[in-house]
Amino acid sequence: MKSYRTRPGRLIGKAILALAGFLAVFPLVWTALNALKNNVDIITRVPRVVFTPTLANISYILGRDSVITGLYNSVVACGAAVLIGVLLGLPAAYAVARYPNRWAGDIQFFVLSLRFLPPVAVAIPLMVIWLQIGLYDTLPALIVTYSLLTISVIMWLAIPAFQAVPKEIEEAAFVDGYGAYSVFWRIALPVAARSLIGAVAFSFVLVWNEFLIALMLSSSNAKTLPIVASELSQQGMNVPWGILNASVVLLSLPPLLFLGVLSGFLNSVFRQKKT
Amino acid sequence: MARRSSLPVTFVVPTIAILLVLSMVPTLYAIVIALQNRELSSTDYSWVWLSNFQDLLFDRRFLNAVWVSVKWEVVTVVATMVVAIGLGVLMFEVASPRLRNLYCLLFIIPVLLPRVSAAFVWKFAYHPLYGIATYPYRLITGGLIFDPLSKPSTALFAVASVDVWQWGLFFAVIVLKLLETLPPQPIEAARLDHAKRWQIHAYVTLPMLKAPLISLMFVKMIESLRSFDLIYVMTRGGPGVATETLDMYAFSQGFIESGKVSYASAMAVLMMIATVISFTMLWKRVQA
Repeated sequence: MKSYRTRPGRLIGKAILALAGFLAVFPLVWTALNALKNNVDIITRVPRVVFTPTLANISYILGRDSVITGLYNSVVACGAAVLIGVLLGLPAAYAVARYPNRWAGDIQFFVLSLRFLPPVAVAIPLMVIWLQIGLYDTLPALIVTYSLLTISVIMWLAIPAFQAVPKEIEEAAFVDGYGAYSVFWRIALPVAARSLIGAVAFSFVLVWNEFLIALMLSSSNAKTLPIVASELSQQGMNVPWGILNASVVLLSLPPLLFLGVLSGFLNSVFRQKKT
Repeated sequence: MARRSSLPVTFVVPTIAILLVLSMVPTLYAIVIALQNRELSSTDYSWVWLSNFQDLLFDRRFLNAVWVSVKWEVVTVVATMVVAIGLGVLMFEVASPRLRNLYCLLFIIPVLLPRVSAAFVWKFAYHPLYGIATYPYRLITGGLIFDPLSKPSTALFAVASVDVWQWGLFFAVIVLKLLETLPPQPIEAARLDHAKRWQIHAYVTLPMLKAPLISLMFVKMIESLRSFDLIYVMTRGGPGVATETLDMYAFSQGFIESGKVSYASAMAVLMMIATVISFTMLWKRVQA
């Protein structure tokens, strides 16, 4: 009887969900379609679904030096910053998780509080500093700045991941004569690997998507892809929309590659909570 | 583990030292710059101590930016939580496990996009003549023009909608996962007492999730501070100063309009103090 009464409610609920699912991806799909359109098919009062696709926009984007440089800068700056984040963040997270001392809480709070800092407040002084040292508008400056982000985020997410590793496994390894370092290297890292990869992927997405700091710390040589993409649009309507849409697609692809890893990461985080 | 080992020291000390240097140097230097009168165009400067802060107090554009930032923070945090809880509960109630997995995947996509991409996607969608999001309005009204991004009354909400599109949908997934971790017994008990579905959630499940939901809100409050990319791409603070938040105003003072780096830094320092104090207090409360 109960289910009979709630049936219209369930239908409405399903409709709302379907609408939300549609809204989540449709704007993106539409952008991808527009990237394949000629300008005449985009600038229409009534949206055009049927059109002759063209690869002109995409080949134009991939043929521009500024885009290729931006792509290169983004890959190098984000890759290096993530690597530094892994090398410094993971061991520190393990130590905080497994050797708790009276500063453990303070360390965790300090790492989190780095996220409170308004990016402008960091970017303005850094710009002045890099200008004085002569490193303004270079990739090393960007990498060092991004490392602050990656180290803290990786640490923050890796601490619970290491805590979730069953202590018994590590204890057993100690009994077998492993030293503290080889327990970390041979036991903790492989066991926590799934969650750790999620944390690292998250930090990559974070710096790949970063905009304000890159905008303030680069003027020509070190521009990352988000900056290049936003500059295309500053030329207003003179740039065909198809090209802009193609640049948006190019910029969005790398983070979307991590969709599977990150949703798996989410699942594993919550499965830990359950047990 | 009470084993004596050099590991904690060799693992923690270098990392924390580097983090301290990387964060404290710019933070302290931001304060130093704020007390000077540096400009981008020249290398000369002198100490002006608090006069930048004094000027800020009488700068109406600054006060407007404070107000816009507060509005932005409230609108995006509240809307994100409402959307997240609404959709999370709906998924929990009406979606089959397979559909849940599909929705979870779909709902994570927007938040993965670079803010710049999300801003572009919606800037095109909101275009009054050719946008896909304004098309239904043109269709219904027979071609009337609605330009949400260039009307002062709607611009902030139009930009905020993109933020909610990214974070609200993502948080819905987390709310669902949280609901799934709850033990089924209290829900069953409430159902036996003939509680309606919405009553079960309002009085049983959501109160049980109070702590994680508050933490979630805390995360959103921090992320909402990073509005710059969206606003920079979509409106540049316009129309007029309707969407000019503090970071947007600091950026335009420091880099676009006048190159007054010190003045911008004074603003950034005020933002930093306000956020660090309020978030530290909030965090201690959440933890307690």
